[in-house]
Amino acid sequence: MSSEPDTPDAETEYQHDDDGGPDPEKHCGHGRGGMGEEVTRKEDKRFITGRGNYVDDIKKPGMLHCEIVRSPHAHARIEEIDGSRAEAMDGVVAVLTAEDLLEHDLATMPTLMDDTQDVLVNEKVKFQSQEVAAVIATDRYAAKDGAQKVEVDYDVLDPVVDAEEALEEDAPLVRDELEDQEDNHIFDWDTGDKEATETVFDEAAVTVEEDMLYQRLHPAPIETCGAVADWDPGMDKMTVHMTSQAPHAHRTLFSQVSGIPEHKVRIVSPDVGGGFGNKVPIYPGYVVAAAASYVLEEPVKWIEERSENIQTTGFARDYDMTGELAATEDGVIEGVKVDVLANHGAYNAAAQPSKFPAGFFNIFTGSYDIEAAYGSLTAAFTNTAPGGVAYRCSFRVTEAVYLIERMVKVLADELEMDPAEIRRRNFIPSDAFPYESATGWNYDSGDYEKALDKALEMADYDHYREEQQRRIEEDADKLIGIGISSFTEVVGAGPGKQCDIAGIEMFDSADLRVNPTGNAVLRVGVQTQGQGHETTFAQIVAEELGMDVDSITVEHGDTDTEPYGLGTYGSRSTPVAGAAAAVAARKVRDKAKSIAANELEAAEEDIEWERESGEFHVAGAPDRSITITEIAAGAYMNHPGDEEPGLEAVNYYDPPEMTYPFGSYIVIVEIDRETGEVDFEKFVAVDDCGNRINPMIIEGQIHGGLAQGIGTAMLEKVTYDDNGNVTGGDFMNYLLPTANEIPNFDTGHTVTPSPHHPIGAKGVGESPTVGSPPAIVNAVVDAMSHAGVTHVEMPMTPDVVWETLDEVGLAHQPAHNVEFDLGDDAEPADD
Amino acid sequence: MKSAPFEHHEPDTVDEAVSLLESLDDPTILAGGQSLVPMLRFRLANPDVVVDINGIDSLDYLDEGDGHLRLGALARHADVEDSDLIDEKYGSFADAAPLVADPQIRNRGTVVGSVAQADPKGDWGSILLAHEGEVIATGPDGDRAIPADEFFLLPYDTTLGEQELITEIRVPEPAPTEGSAYHKLKRKTGDYAMAGVGVRLVFDDDGVIESAGIGMTAVDITNARATDAEEHLEGERPSPDLFATAGELAAEQSNPESDEHGGADYKERMVDVLTQRALSDAAERAGTVTVQRRVTQ
Repeated sequence: MSSEPDTPDAETEYQHDDDGGPDPEKHCGHGRGGMGEEVTRKEDKRFITGRGNYVDDIKKPGMLHCEIVRSPHAHARIEEIDGSRAEAMDGVVAVLTAEDLLEHDLATMPTLMDDTQDVLVNEKVKFQSQEVAAVIATDRYAAKDGAQKVEVDYDVLDPVVDAEEALEEDAPLVRDELEDQEDNHIFDWDTGDKEATETVFDEAAVTVEEDMLYQRLHPAPIETCGAVADWDPGMDKMTVHMTSQAPHAHRTLFSQVSGIPEHKVRIVSPDVGGGFGNKVPIYPGYVVAAAASYVLEEPVKWIEERSENIQTTGFARDYDMTGELAATEDGVIEGVKVDVLANHGAYNAAAQPSKFPAGFFNIFTGSYDIEAAYGSLTAAFTNTAPGGVAYRCSFRVTEAVYLIERMVKVLADELEMDPAEIRRRNFIPSDAFPYESATGWNYDSGDYEKALDKALEMADYDHYREEQQRRIEEDADKLIGIGISSFTEVVGAGPGKQCDIAGIEMFDSADLRVNPTGNAVLRVGVQTQGQGHETTFAQIVAEELGMDVDSITVEHGDTDTEPYGLGTYGSRSTPVAGAAAAVAARKVRDKAKSIAANELEAAEEDIEWERESGEFHVAGAPDRSITITEIAAGAYMNHPGDEEPGLEAVNYYDPPEMTYPFGSYIVIVEIDRETGEVDFEKFVAVDDCGNRINPMIIEGQIHGGLAQGIGTAMLEKVTYDDNGNVTGGDFMNYLLPTANEIPNFDTGHTVTPSPHHPIGAKGVGESPTVGSPPAIVNAVVDAMSHAGVTHVEMPMTPDVVWETLDEVGLAHQPAHNVEFDLGDDAEPADD
Repeated sequence: MKSAPFEHHEPDTVDEAVSLLESLDDPTILAGGQSLVPMLRFRLANPDVVVDINGIDSLDYLDEGDGHLRLGALARHADVEDSDLIDEKYGSFADAAPLVADPQIRNRGTVVGSVAQADPKGDWGSILLAHEGEVIATGPDGDRAIPADEFFLLPYDTTLGEQELITEIRVPEPAPTEGSAYHKLKRKTGDYAMAGVGVRLVFDDDGVIESAGIGMTAVDITNARATDAEEHLEGERPSPDLFATAGELAAEQSNPESDEHGGADYKERMVDVLTQRALSDAAERAGTVTVQRRVTQ
């Protein structure tokens, strides 16, 4: 079998007509559902008809329910826990505390950054709603009733919630149990060439600086976290159905925490109702459910409530940043500097590859060819929930993109240049790829100007610039703002030597088996949470084997049957597992050639595969052809003597590089000068994710991510009061946008294939969440920049915007532009 | 929903409900559940006894009679939103209904329940005040009408008796030269008001304001009237300046607090803006003025 897959020429074989969208006749050609076809999602039948199977749908005979008792205080020593009143209640089976877990060596668990977190608090509570005890009962109501009866004596301590205050000398010490930890400082990190950057700044004609907070967000998937743990004492086996974006990695961690050998641990991630990074870490609830099942020898279900999800599971962002740019008078950016204070909460539990303490934040040079770059970061412990997960992004690339895209706007305003023009002057030129950035990233491919030009045209940019000016001149009641973001993402971790999770290299895998009757099962190591893997990966196989997409089933999420993989986050599924699927299919195709030769009574080297028809034929004799279905039968019923029977292949794919999707978003807003309300007038998103597998799924991903970007920019923030109480801990206060807050999106695309990916594809699911917040903030700032506004902090609720309007004298009163006509014949006017 | 256990009663008639209120120990009334159900779910409310009035069909009405618009205790927000009568004659109600909570909640939540909850961030209390409406309370001694002005005491506290059930709210049918409006600012669909203002203007035949009612949402410890602004308006002809001064007076009379819905200063300024906007709409709807804009947008 060939180990060198024949990589098709992505440009010619998959390229879509630029404006006409997908053209089935042109690329896959035959309606078989290969690359570029808008195949309807295979998974939707069960979701739309209510037949999905989520963790909370799983019921097992004798199953018990777990409710977690949580601390009302952010910082407190536990004096005593008395579970006797709860234990005496009907239906309550057990009350577990740290003491019980210590007996089984399950009282602590490692975080993804190798910190140690209490499963149930042993001595000191470090954030509000931290897990203190667990009540196991025969039903959910009894568990909740029991939890209310668990009495805990707390010695309440002063908390610290702000990262800057946490680093002051007299701040309360969050982690006094750690040896050598005398303050709340976790680590310092820096990147780039400090000296060279300082020199550039010293000599630069123009420098700008801006402070900006990327506020604490919560991924807030609609399905909260949960687990059903089932210890089988007969088989010595632990099966955990859980909300996991990375079932195999969780199996390894579970085995390490529990001491149960890995082959006796089975993790099943059934249908997942959204993850967005929230379901990457391990949470105490999972461990408690497993410990309770082990002790009680019955299945135990733990399902988190919404408030518990927002208050305690992995948050995202919380980067307090200062950006600086150095440039020429002509707007050529020569240097970028950034300094960050990161609030990591009570444990260092960020979810990112081990060697990247600040994730991929050091890609903050963005889409621009910048000579000198330097970044520094300090991380602090506070009495807030731990986190730093990659909320629909690739490990802090969101913060990096926000910083650079905001700073480019700040510079454009300083120089009174058009923000589109200043981008054009600084883009990495399309002929400079592969490109190595000042902070060491190797960009695979890009054509940034093309995407920007397309977005400008779609947005009718010049018209809105004129309209903006007219409104300013006429002192109109609504201001127009135009925001641009020309972002570059970095997605698809590995390579394994650079990127690992808890030591496991970040490859991914695919196992393809073709059945005797010609259909196939593809098993992958990544885990869909709504991304459409069951369709997309089937399309890759359909393309590479000439099969019909309906003949391919994609399976994922069960560690007993799927090949080992690192899971789905950081837009890595298509770049890594998608590549594995393509390579596995090509391996099958190679073997199929020998079977075809046998069936067609020709020499193997004379067998050719034709992408267009999907058939194998004898060179020079196209009518002597055979389909994969016929070959499959041959593999099992008439296999060549010198080959193994069967038709299957496995590929573990370690990507040579990451992929760098990009795009240009243009947001046009209208700001009400009386109230500060912001309306979206136009929202254009041009994305380039290389070759496109399913344009409809991509567009759906873009829509969802833009909605989340709007939530980020306009509404969302996890907030704490001075006592460490979460004040945005439910959906009454943590404001997710609804369909009413979301405008129509104009989506477009360009196609710049990845040169190193087997099918020329890049990840895309996170581009809109990463790229849109700076475009939105830039738009709001742009509406007021003529009056000197350089920044508005997120979330930009009406009060925040109005206060900015008021500060610079742009606020209006309703009487400002209004006259009343009191004529006798005045008719009620239409509004 | 994992509430604490409670006893659930489902009366079919108002009489039955009132006798349950009389005989049961500290009962809680459940109508649409807009506020009570989340409180049960968070276990912020842990009632032992719930009297669920959803089965009392005689309370499900929205109509005109006795010179009033009458909303029975089971009239849902969505009923107001969908009503032609409301669209035709009651501008403030038509404005407010689609701004309450979100569509799912409006299908279940009731106008009377919202008034009874007496949350200062509720919308209907302001409209009831602006229209000088009444709350009809039914108790062991029969019905009594409580003027809106005398109903609200404190957040979540009213002059309703412990054994009384609100069976109806009512506002006077509008005169031909009357207009009303409601304006509300909120951060997103489903969120409570940052601020809201309900206005009712009655004009005489010469286009002079005969009577003005202004109710404010989310800017005091209860829904509150802007009496200084009302007095300033009465006896005057509408003009942008008149309304601007009324807006200022309403803002001065408001007492907002800074919270997650915005700073106190912002809310006060928004009372001013929303009052002016609502006054303009009300005057236009009364057929008295046409608003002209000097510049587009």
